[in-house]
Amino acid sequence: MRKYAALVASVALNSFLEGARSRFFTMFAVFAFTAVYASVLAGVMAVDQEERLLGDFGLLLTELTTLAYLLFNASSSLLREAETKTIYLVFSRPVPRSAYLAGKLAGALLTGAMMLLLMGAVHLSLLHFRGFGLPPFYGWALAGIFLKLCVIVSFAFFVSLFSTSAVSTLVISAIMWTLGHFAAEARFLAEEAAGFQGALLGLLINLVPNLQLFNARDAAGAAAALPAAALLPAAAWTLACYFAGLWLLSRKEF
Amino acid sequence: MRGRGYGLLAAALLCWAAGSYAGAAYRLPFPPPSEMRSPLNGAGGDMLALALGARRVFADLWFVRLLQYYGKKEARVSSDQPGHETHEHRVDEHGRTHCDHGANYGKGEYPSFLPMARHILEVDPSFTAAGLYGAASLAFNMERPAEAEELLRYGLKYSPKEWKYLTVLAAIGYSNAQNPAAVAEAIKPLLSEPDCPVMLKQLAAFLNKRAGNLAAAAAIYADILATSRDEFYVRNAERELRKLAWGPGGRP
Repeated sequence: MRKYAALVASVALNSFLEGARSRFFTMFAVFAFTAVYASVLAGVMAVDQEERLLGDFGLLLTELTTLAYLLFNASSSLLREAETKTIYLVFSRPVPRSAYLAGKLAGALLTGAMMLLLMGAVHLSLLHFRGFGLPPFYGWALAGIFLKLCVIVSFAFFVSLFSTSAVSTLVISAIMWTLGHFAAEARFLAEEAAGFQGALLGLLINLVPNLQLFNARDAAGAAAALPAAALLPAAAWTLACYFAGLWLLSRKEF
Repeated sequence: MRGRGYGLLAAALLCWAAGSYAGAAYRLPFPPPSEMRSPLNGAGGDMLALALGARRVFADLWFVRLLQYYGKKEARVSSDQPGHETHEHRVDEHGRTHCDHGANYGKGEYPSFLPMARHILEVDPSFTAAGLYGAASLAFNMERPAEAEELLRYGLKYSPKEWKYLTVLAAIGYSNAQNPAAVAEAIKPLLSEPDCPVMLKQLAAFLNKRAGNLAAAAAIYADILATSRDEFYVRNAERELRKLAWGPGGRP
């Protein structure tokens, strides 16, 4: 078991370092510049609501930048390793496919966590520079963003194992991301619709992860910003994508 | 190997079903999409707000649009001094010109004000500051208390325990009864709140000044000076504080 964990950690570390070296700092710089620009605009336009606007824009930019990078990473990582034959080297050693996929997923999520923390630090220093304190929901918002990323990145890894190109993986994952935010509204529509239509829609909704569960960034004004019950669906959907990805990986010939 | 493969597939399906089951009870704290009545050309933005899970950001943008809309001049009267088109300046017995701003400032038709203000709450009902700003502008600046009440009642539908909305509702009631002192007293608890719109503070200071509570008015103007980032209100507070320091005799 310890050997297995060491293998997962080794793949994860390698994947993390690879991710951090490539486009990590470029994305970070783009975010930082955009946030500074947004803060200037916010100051001019929102007047007494500058703090709220600056906080909301910073968190959305943090989420979208991290998502963009992680989806790019997840959609191209396995394909690239297959093209460069790196994957053959890995599997020629006693590395189980489950440890390899778990390591890849953990490495991507580690990169995501690192990006979130660094961008959060830039964002908070920007807020501080403009004379504002730490928004009360900030930690919850970052935790919620991370849970969303766990679900969607594992889904992207799963899709990348059967799609023909990185672009199609990106597109499918982005569509799932969008649908995930519509899930709560779709559930409302299913409850409103009567008969067969409502039942069918209610059934189909279960195929989409409800990302609004983790959207503490958006529900910051609500009493419970991130429900404790959100952890279970996040873990379940991430594991489901991992098992499905492992099923596809186990059927591939290397 | 094949058996293990199917086991993995079954585990994936089970996990997915468990996730869906665990999250099924969750209900959004936001109004349903059927309540979103987008004014102007905002439907695309609303779709994006839902798709990105970014209701707060889009409510912020709608608030900025409301500020810009309300900041737009409707009056056709010209003035030598920009920003003073809508009102006459009073000249006192010492020949000094006074600009009170408060009496008529912000009056106008602004037919889209209510739909725009309501839309902010439709997108993000937790944006209390926008609700208060919209209701106070409608009730006290544009003298449309019925529309202000409609906005506040919509806000209360999703934030039933929001005492700030109830306070403004009470103030509108006093305003309808032509009791400015009671209005000032009613909105007093709001003034120390961080999300109290500066326009409400300005109104409270103006009403206190009219009622002869000069110390209370000065304290509110000093608070505006210390906390607001709105240059118009800050400059006005400075001017009013100077006038209050001079006193009725015109001496500092």
